[in-house]
Amino acid sequence: MQPFTLDYARPAVQLEVSTPYMYDSGLQLNILPDGRIAATDHATLRALGTTTSTAGSKTHFDD
Amino acid sequence: MTVLILTSEEDVTADMVVLRLHESGVPVVRLDPADLTSGVALSGEFVQGVSRGHLSVGDRLVSMNGLRSVWVRRPGVAASRAAQPSAWLTEESSQALYGMLRGTDARWMNDPDAARRARHKPWQLRLAQLSGLPVPATLITTFPQAAREFAERFPDLVVKPVSGAHPQEPPRAVPTSRVAPDADFAAVAFGPTLLQRRVAKRADIRLTVVGERLLAARKAVAADAHPDDVDVRFTPSTSPWLPVDVPPRVTVAVQAYMTSAELAYGAFDFAEDSDGIWWFLECNQSGQFGFVEMDTGQPIAGTIAEWLTHGTGRTRTPGGSRRSDP
Repeated sequence: MQPFTLDYARPAVQLEVSTPYMYDSGLQLNILPDGRIAATDHATLRALGTTTSTAGSKTHFDD
Repeated sequence: MTVLILTSEEDVTADMVVLRLHESGVPVVRLDPADLTSGVALSGEFVQGVSRGHLSVGDRLVSMNGLRSVWVRRPGVAASRAAQPSAWLTEESSQALYGMLRGTDARWMNDPDAARRARHKPWQLRLAQLSGLPVPATLITTFPQAAREFAERFPDLVVKPVSGAHPQEPPRAVPTSRVAPDADFAAVAFGPTLLQRRVAKRADIRLTVVGERLLAARKAVAADAHPDDVDVRFTPSTSPWLPVDVPPRVTVAVQAYMTSAELAYGAFDFAEDSDGIWWFLECNQSGQFGFVEMDTGQPIAGTIAEWLTHGTGRTRTPGGSRRSDP
């Protein structure tokens, strides 16, 4: 009784990698441990894939 | 006048816009509706013909009437992190927050009603057709026989979720996938199935629209790419996204789409075929943009910040009718 579309499903990649930044409510920005603003560190953002279009989000289906 | 951003704390893509707003000296209040009643508070009154209200998060307090714009980026479910969350509390909190915000004169990116409608892929496909965008032949059906006949007419098909949502129990992803030539369509009866003619693409196009501005990026498909690698989100690639000009005909059609959809922001996905035609796949009203900006250097975050600060466009009056800003 599985819908046809789900024949093409695959296990979601669970991103267990913890983000190396913390939200600073004063700045309203995420900050790296060395005090830099996370959004300016493109290398970190690329490594984490946190700004990319990735299917499978639990809460948002607009990628 | 303050820009209100509704999103989660970990949303670093929103950070890119907050940074631009900070640089411009524009007041910003950022909060996640999920934190309502536990960190976020609201109050509004409607007395003697006058309404006023406030929102607070931490030590920040903003007047509802002092909002210039609302950016609905990636908000959590209202009150979902309350001390005692419940479906009832979520509904109460959602109605209180969004109801009060809808009563302001703030511009929305995107208007919640327009956003809700714009998420429907069948509606997107029809609007794209009406707007003059090429749409690959598509069938959405629960009739197995209709699927079989469609596959006879269009032998090379892909399948993808109608909603774009992915099953969670257990967590699975459903990429756009090529349908096997000998596929058995009987299971189409068990759920609406979206079948679409596969576009033999030479590139993926992501066109980000912010107000009147169109910023397009192109990612070439590798010459040795396997034809089964359909979904760019799941395909390993070393090709970067590069800026690309938008064909005039596409510009006109996309502007028509955005106007009809009443959206201030939209992320369009196209497949570019060997003739250079951009085939419309979908328009995500809250699509990601950080990866495009980082690859291309296109000022998407700055353009969003500019729109939230000064943008012109449609807004919703408290009475519910739409008007254009002067």
